[in-house]
Amino acid sequence: MTNAITLRGLTKHFDRRAVVDDLTIDVPAGVVAGFVGPNGAGKTTTMAMLLGLVKPSGGSGRVLGEPLDDPSAYLGRVGALVEAPSFYPALTGAQNLAVLATAAGQDKSQIPELLELVGLAARGDDRFRSYSFGMKQRLGIAAAMLGDPSLLILDEPINGLDPAGVHEMRGLIGRLATASRTVLVSSHVLVELEQVADWLIMIDDGRLVFHGPASELLGATDANVAVAPEHADDLEQLRGILAAAGHVTQAFDDHLEIAVDDSDARGLAAALNRAAGEGGIVLAELRVTGATLEDRYLTMVKNGGDR
Amino acid sequence: MIRSFKAELVKLRRRRVAVVAIAGALAFAVIASTAVLLSATQTEAPGDRGTTIASLSEAGGATEAFALGISFTGLVVLVLFIANFAGEFSQGTIRTLLMRQPRRLGLLAGKMGALLTFVAAVLLLAEVFTVAASAAIAPSQDVATGSWFGMDALGQAAGDYGTALLGVASWALLGMAIAVFVRSIPVALGIGIVWAGPFEHIIQDSWTSADRWFPGLLLESLAVGGTDEVAFGRAVALVAVYVAIAASAAAVVFVRRDVTA
Repeated sequence: MTNAITLRGLTKHFDRRAVVDDLTIDVPAGVVAGFVGPNGAGKTTTMAMLLGLVKPSGGSGRVLGEPLDDPSAYLGRVGALVEAPSFYPALTGAQNLAVLATAAGQDKSQIPELLELVGLAARGDDRFRSYSFGMKQRLGIAAAMLGDPSLLILDEPINGLDPAGVHEMRGLIGRLATASRTVLVSSHVLVELEQVADWLIMIDDGRLVFHGPASELLGATDANVAVAPEHADDLEQLRGILAAAGHVTQAFDDHLEIAVDDSDARGLAAALNRAAGEGGIVLAELRVTGATLEDRYLTMVKNGGDR
Repeated sequence: MIRSFKAELVKLRRRRVAVVAIAGALAFAVIASTAVLLSATQTEAPGDRGTTIASLSEAGGATEAFALGISFTGLVVLVLFIANFAGEFSQGTIRTLLMRQPRRLGLLAGKMGALLTFVAAVLLLAEVFTVAASAAIAPSQDVATGSWFGMDALGQAAGDYGTALLGVASWALLGMAIAVFVRSIPVALGIGIVWAGPFEHIIQDSWTSADRWFPGLLLESLAVGGTDEVAFGRAVALVAVYVAIAASAAAVVFVRRDVTA
């Protein structure tokens, strides 16, 4: 499998601080790669280096087979939305796209189709300043799609969107991900990323924490079995039964949770149900939950949140 | 560079921009013609550099108002170019453009070229309007217009246009340079206006040679075709040096600096 992005020891210092530190990753062509990390982890700076906006302090890389230090060789095949969508407020959506298409030497006839794709066909002739945030974000996606890029780089595309906007954007990203296109998307909303990404890159404090198939990270993790008695008074008795059976439980207000290897989870659930029944306890809840990306993220990233 | 030039023209070719430019040129023509022709005197007073009825009746009279009027627009041009270029940084649109046109020098040159082409067209329009407005007002001021429409007058008009374009382009390049260095509209405007406005003139009050060296004062001399203190050639040469240094430094900074906003 060829790589759309290959980075070797990529480093960026601002003043003397390493914002991106010795980053070595591969992103195979054709995947949707989720880029995860806390605020300030270096995601946007990494993306900016991929786009030639920021010059690396060290390391090397290739994007779509071209060297990282020659962005003009590959940017014609890359579309991007980095940070907030930035357009000319006095120009219409269509005019803004025309400016960008002209600057890139691309055909302007694709603009109506792109506006249609992002659901802005009816508002393409309205000024950018009159757009809602969600519309601005969608125009940013349309701009990124100019020229039918082989690599799409999206930095926090759902940031600031309302739930309906998040739903729309998730669908849009899903439609943009095709076999011939690689999508690199960063997001703090890990549930959303989990639904679209088949490749994951996790960084913290500028350093790589994990990169590889999403299934490798999410599949090889523990699961939880949550069990709740019908009557809260039975919680302690249930805990005793489970402890006697050798299970370490974590108690919550109305239920217990047991961490277990994912492959054993269903068998354990059945055993717990049986043991509870034999102890005269009726269960109101018994469910198996797999570890989420958020669980893994919180485990692997030491601070696990905004800094 | 050609792509960036064309991309900038997409913005400038809008009907609203055309209407504003035409209205501005028209307003300039009416104000300049009215002010110059109505203030023209019968005879030139000693030390007076103002226009006379006699000088206005010569071949250059048709574009006298244009030449004098345009000499007052330097600061306006500086402000407009600072706002345009610094606005690209403040709005983040420079980032959006660079993702489409990563050849930074080409982007800067193309954008500047398109804006200067637009300015050149507006200047031409302003000159034509000014001639028309002056011709309309001239009879009421007893200014003879017989010499205004011959080959000599055309040569004078071309000269005035060239001088105006040189001055305006210099202000524009200095504005672009300040904007690229500073990147913030209010800070860049503050620097530009304070330097070209009060700062140089205050220094001039205490240092009589200031107008021979300071860029803003040299540009003022250039715009009026030279003064007793500063010959036109000296003004052109020194302004060219200042503009070349400023534009080159801005280009180097623009090419090398990270775009993080």
